[in-house]
Amino acid sequence: MDNQKPKVLIVDDEKGLRIGTKRLLEQEGYCVATAENGKEGIRIGTSEEFDIAIIDLKMPDIDGITVLKEIRNKWPNTVCFIATAYASYETAIEATKLGAFSYIPKPFTPDEFLSNVNKGYENRLHILDRENWKREREARLLEVAFEKTRINTIINSISDGILVVNKNAETVLFNPSALVYLSLEKIDIEENILNKINPQISDLITKCLQKGEYVKKSYSSQVEIKPNHELVIEATSSPVPHPDGSLAGVVVVLKNITKLKKIEYIKNQFVSMVSHELKAPIAAVYGFLKILSDPNIPVSPEQQESFIKRSETRLESLLKMVNDLLDISRMEMNTYHREIIEIDVNEIIISILELFSSEIENKKIDVTKNVDSPLPVIHGDSGEITRLFTNLISNAIKYNKEGGKININIECSGNYLLAEIADTGIGMKDDEVNSLFHEFYRAKNEFTKNISGTGLGLSIVKRIVDAYSGKLEVFSEYKTGTTFRIFLPINKGNAQNS
Amino acid sequence: MSSGKKILIVDDDLDLLEQHKLLLESKGYQVFCADTTDNGWELFLQEKPDAAIIDLMMEEHDSGFVLSYKIKSHEFGKNIPVFILTSATYVTGYKFEAKTDEEREWIKCDEIINKPVQVDQLVQKLEHYFAEQSAHH
Repeated sequence: MDNQKPKVLIVDDEKGLRIGTKRLLEQEGYCVATAENGKEGIRIGTSEEFDIAIIDLKMPDIDGITVLKEIRNKWPNTVCFIATAYASYETAIEATKLGAFSYIPKPFTPDEFLSNVNKGYENRLHILDRENWKREREARLLEVAFEKTRINTIINSISDGILVVNKNAETVLFNPSALVYLSLEKIDIEENILNKINPQISDLITKCLQKGEYVKKSYSSQVEIKPNHELVIEATSSPVPHPDGSLAGVVVVLKNITKLKKIEYIKNQFVSMVSHELKAPIAAVYGFLKILSDPNIPVSPEQQESFIKRSETRLESLLKMVNDLLDISRMEMNTYHREIIEIDVNEIIISILELFSSEIENKKIDVTKNVDSPLPVIHGDSGEITRLFTNLISNAIKYNKEGGKININIECSGNYLLAEIADTGIGMKDDEVNSLFHEFYRAKNEFTKNISGTGLGLSIVKRIVDAYSGKLEVFSEYKTGTTFRIFLPINKGNAQNS
Repeated sequence: MSSGKKILIVDDDLDLLEQHKLLLESKGYQVFCADTTDNGWELFLQEKPDAAIIDLMMEEHDSGFVLSYKIKSHEFGKNIPVFILTSATYVTGYKFEAKTDEEREWIKCDEIINKPVQVDQLVQKLEHYFAEQSAHH
């Protein structure tokens, strides 16, 4: 195959020589191209890479040295010969300086010529080998460098802090997060870290190092780096082995658990608050029972009856609170199984109003209801939607004035169903509105002290509305009334089901 | 034993208020009840009680401290025992007591009593303060 044969370019203005050497080389298995002058020689010699170029020194248009320069410039590995009848020491030096491999004096015998070309070709093969080897080595070096940068980049990108120390607890490697989580300005490589960092973390490192040998065991500890829970980390130290299994050092991973700690704190507070709220009715009932059973405390029959009645009321509200709490916990844990069906909110509200009819009558409350027709259906769990409106309507009755009004308005508002429940009750002050949806929050003022409640109703309302990607608005004026506006999505009311 | 001393009780839980009233009355005290801090303050000024027992969590989580502080800063009130009634040690996670002078100074009350109230203990504490007072005079 032609392209496997060594390629030779002959640049010479002497036609006989071109033909002769071409024939000679082709017989020897070379692939030969010829150029009859310097210009042509440059054109052909630079258009593709030849293994060997044999260039006549003296040509009418451009001299051989220029041709040599041009070709070597383009293909530095092409082995070039200068052929000339005017052999001189100076031109030989110059040609060699410019990168000519050798010098073929004219006239030459076929054997001399072939021996030169063959030597040149051998040289060319050496050059190519060396080039190949160099390229491979460079590629390998590049790869190693790349691998190293890549691992560094990865370690530096890890959001957890990473600190590696050797057997003497001197720093070997760390990433930027480690600085942040250790609250240090800088760490010097090879400096002993133990006295620089939080003693709890030093302890973890010491534990891994003290045996002096590699034992696959990690140690963990939660450390408050900045006071008041501003930065809490979990540090885990693990020993690192040498390839031979001996102990090389320790790697410490620092994880930011500040948020988790905050959640834990909130949870603990919630538990305390729940306990407190549960304790109040228990204490009240317990107190009544003690008084009723104590012969030393005089109690009239009317008082006795009242105490029993009040104990019942407290226990009822306790039971309700426990149920509310269970509901909240189910919502939090996402274990509430929703049965999503098409729901007519108007129907639900009608049935709720029926349920509360005696309370409404007792308080002489005037209920009016306006419903858009036709009312779009929403998709939801009927239990949950009922609970939502029950809590709101129950509040509207409970916190209303004697002979007050409740106005219910249900309409379509864009992609939402808007249900508005307005009462003419005791209303709320601004700061009370802000705390309204907090668990156990109950506005405390002269109007509310005789109204019982768990402080969980509106918190449940909010959770339900949120679960349906809805929206909740409250407008309230102290002593005048409160309006709740509930927006529930019409078509895609699918709450995230568990 | 109690010679009809006047006790002011302030608590927003009406059931507990009535119970404590009955219990203390059965021990021979004269009891005045208020269910808000404002009413409690008015009643204090009006009746000049010999002691005050105030629930901690009322309108606010620390309403009891505020009222206690007011009473203890008053010319008459600084000489009477003021007890704070609470189960709040469990609520906030912070345990507070009024055992040392320093604590009594910043909390501005004489005792912190945990609910539910053991009436005999309460009476014992009240009597202890009353006895100290008469010894001083």
